This record gives sequence, structure tokens and C-alpha cells, in this order.
Amino acid sequence: MASIVQSVMGSAGVKAEKPIKLYSHPGGPNPWKVAIILNELGIPYTTELMDFGDLKKEPFESVNPNGRVPAIEDPNTGLKLWESGAIIEYLLETYDTSHALSYASGSEKWEAKCWLHFQTSGQGPYFGQRAWFILLTSARRGLSQYHSEKNLTSCLDRYGNEIRRVLGVVDAHLKKTGGEYLVGDKCTFADLAFVPWHWLLTSPPHIMGEGFGKEWREEYPQAWAWNERLQARTAVAKAREDRQAAMQAGH
Amino acid sequence: MADIDLYTAGTPNGQKISCTLEELGLKYTVHKIDIAKNVQKEDWFLEINPNGRIPAIVDKTSGTPQRVFEGAAIQLYLCATYDTQHTISFPYASAEYWEMLSWLTWMQSGIGPMQGQANHFYRYAPTKIAYAITRYQTETKRLYQVLNDRLEAQRGAGQGLWLVGGKYSIADLCCFSWVNWAEWAGVETQGFAAVRTWLEVIQRRPAVRRGVEVPERFAMKEAMRTREGEEEYAKHHSNWVMQGMKEDEEKHK
Repeated sequence: MASIVQSVMGSAGVKAEKPIKLYSHPGGPNPWKVAIILNELGIPYTTELMDFGDLKKEPFESVNPNGRVPAIEDPNTGLKLWESGAIIEYLLETYDTSHALSYASGSEKWEAKCWLHFQTSGQGPYFGQRAWFILLTSARRGLSQYHSEKNLTSCLDRYGNEIRRVLGVVDAHLKKTGGEYLVGDKCTFADLAFVPWHWLLTSPPHIMGEGFGKEWREEYPQAWAWNERLQARTAVAKAREDRQAAMQAGH
Repeated sequence: MADIDLYTAGTPNGQKISCTLEELGLKYTVHKIDIAKNVQKEDWFLEINPNGRIPAIVDKTSGTPQRVFEGAAIQLYLCATYDTQHTISFPYASAEYWEMLSWLTWMQSGIGPMQGQANHFYRYAPTKIAYAITRYQTETKRLYQVLNDRLEAQRGAGQGLWLVGGKYSIADLCCFSWVNWAEWAGVETQGFAAVRTWLEVIQRRPAVRRGVEVPERFAMKEAMRTREGEEEYAKHHSNWVMQGMKEDEEKHK
């Protein structure tokens, strides 16, 4: 493993001397993608857990015009960034000079970007829609006034199928390449970006049901083993524990 | 001279890439992917995009073929490789570059998926679920509002009616490609004055006018002028969308 000093020295000669400020929320998985990358690279950071009510107004809207987390402020470069995918690419470019989690050039460099963009446009939104309808239908179960709008099963099915399809895409790719990770022979930011949404499958709210782990393991074994490898990483475990602690603290 | 294969269909995500190639004046060969026949799920295509979706490219210019899939990754690759003068992009790792990347990512994780869901529930789903139609049309409008606010703020700051850095870039182009299909999702752009002006300016760009006609005539807007045209167009497109969905469902039962 690269030393901390080496790994936080950026290509533009930027040192992560001052901690980066990460705007986060324990509920949504996306901020934790960024926390994992910060942990992996040993970049110092502070976390500000936001209330949803404060996202769509100033001063936060000046950091992220879309009013969502994550967003970061990097005092080392003076930049503010938003959208987890963009933040991850920025952190890698600025601080991963030893290419611990990325590739400097060639085919792998672009291949990793393809998978990251697949995660942000193909995994996150669809896992998110499934979560929405799961939370909605469970919230409505004791609320009689909503009974007129009862059949959301087809919505749940649509996004459940999409989750299976996404796991299938990863599974088939790993089977084909015989590799342990999506790109080349090492874990990259592209693999890590998928991790937090998996938490919604393997722990509460269990958006595919509590028994889904068995289906995942049996139907998509390569993707299952890949996720196990990623979850075992120290940086990932730390983010998972930090998120649980934040949730328990009542955020 | 560039030697690029483009695998595409006449959808917002596909048109975004043909427009980018046109803007950069690159030579490319168009391969129309017949989604109705599920060509995108065939093994040879999965070698190019393991996700089985359009668009994707293979760049053979340097002699070693490079595949790139996912719209934003393709746009970034094309600009990094061929837009050395930064006509529609910004120097790598500049502040404008990161802002551009934020908007690209915002589009593909926001407008694209949400407007895509509005299309599904408004146009294609066999049963009309009012809740779902409203949810996704409303979310699309929320995102249009974010776009509108940004454009107005940029204009107010003397940056012109562009998302980043005072000029037209792939950030504008990728958002344009979806807003240009708003009526298909049943979303009105009436209330978004800045977006409407911005849209019309981009529509008039020669490269965009050529790009939206790839791989086939862009007939949606014309069809939407009459009730019959709209129904005919909707019927044709519903058939292939639902067929593809059904095959996916069976595969992952």
C-alpha cells in the first residue's frame, strides 16, 4: 500500500493538507461513495450531515444548484463540486497520483470511466426508484386515505427487474473476463462506486426483501463474490460503520 | 483522419453522440441498432457494451480499437482525444472542466433516468398509473427548473445562456438532447423561459441539425403536431420498448 504522504500528493502538486468538507446524509447512499474514496486515499475530511430541509435553499444551493448531497468543498484547491460521479473523478485526478485506485492511461483508463458512468446512470437511479416505491408502499400500509391508489406492484416489479438486470450485467462481465474487479487486475474507483447501493439490498431497508441475498448468491455468483471482496475492504467497512453510527444518532 | 464506429438509435442518448461527432467534424460510420429486434443484447454487441444499450463507439483511429460505452464517457473520450482546441469542452482538470463534468453527471443520473421513467409510464406502460406518471413528470420539471435557474444565473453573471464557462459545451449538448424530447414525456416547457431560448439556439446549430437525423429521420416533433400522428408514432415506439422489456423480464425471472 502506498504511503499516506504519497497517496495524498496530487498530480498538480496539490497536497491534501487541509481537510475536505463533505456534505452528506446517512440515508442516501451517494454521499458514502465519496466517503469510501476519501478513506481509500487517506485524504483528511470532515463530514457535515445535512437535514433534507436545508438542501434546497441557501447557503447550500450555492454549493450544489441541484440541492442534493453529496457535495464537497476542497480548501486545498478552492473548488466546490457536486454530483458523486464528478466528485470521484476529481478526487482521483487531484490526489491519486500513485494510481492506487485508477489507471493513468490506455484502455483501462477509459474502461473505468465507462463503468463509473454506468453506475451513476444505470445502477443508482434504478435502485433508488425501487427504494422509493418500497418506502412508499410500506408507509401507506396504515394510511387508509391512500387506499384508492393501491396497485403499485407493477412499479415495484419494474425496478426489481432492473436491479436483477444490473447485477446480471456485472456478473456476466466478471465471468467473461475472469477478473476479480471490473477493470484490469485491481480494485478501482469504478468498483467502489457500486458499493453503497448494495447496502440497501443486504441490510435494512432490504429493498428486494430479506431473502434476496440467497438469490443474488445463486443467480449472480460472480457479482456476489465481487461485492464480498469490496465490502471486506477497510475503507468500505469504515464508511459503512460511520453511516450506521450517523443513522443511530438520529439523523 | 478519425475512424470511428457509432452504434446508435434515434433516441435522446443516441442523438447526443451523433451531435457531438458532428460538432467535432469527425468521420464516423453509423451502425443502426434495431432495438425492436433486441440487437443490443446480441453477443457481438455486448463485446462493445456489456450493458447492452446504445450508444457505444469503437474508435479504430489509432490502430488499437478502443470501445467506449455510456454517453457521458463517450463525450468525454471524444473531447479528450479530438477537441484539442476546446471548441465544445474545457482544458482537462480546469475549474470549468469539473463544473462541466458535474452537469454531465447530473444529466445522466437525473434528467435522463427521470424523463425516461416519465416516457415509460406516460407512453409505454400498458396500465396507466397516475401516481407514477405524476411522480416522474414532476421530477423532470424539477430538474428543468434547476437547469432554468442555472441558465438565468449564468446570463445574469455575464456568462451568456450556457451552463458552464460562457460558451456552448457538451454539458449543454447532453441536457439539450433530453429537453428536445420534452413533449414526448408529456412535459411542458412553457414555464421555463431561459430553457426555451437556450433550446431554440441549440436546435439551430448546423451540427445539431445533422446529428439529430442520425441514424434515421427525427420524426417525433413533426408527428406530435397532429393527434393521429402522435398516436401512430406512440404505437410504433411502444411496441419495441415493451418487447425489449418483456425479454429482459423473462431472462431474469
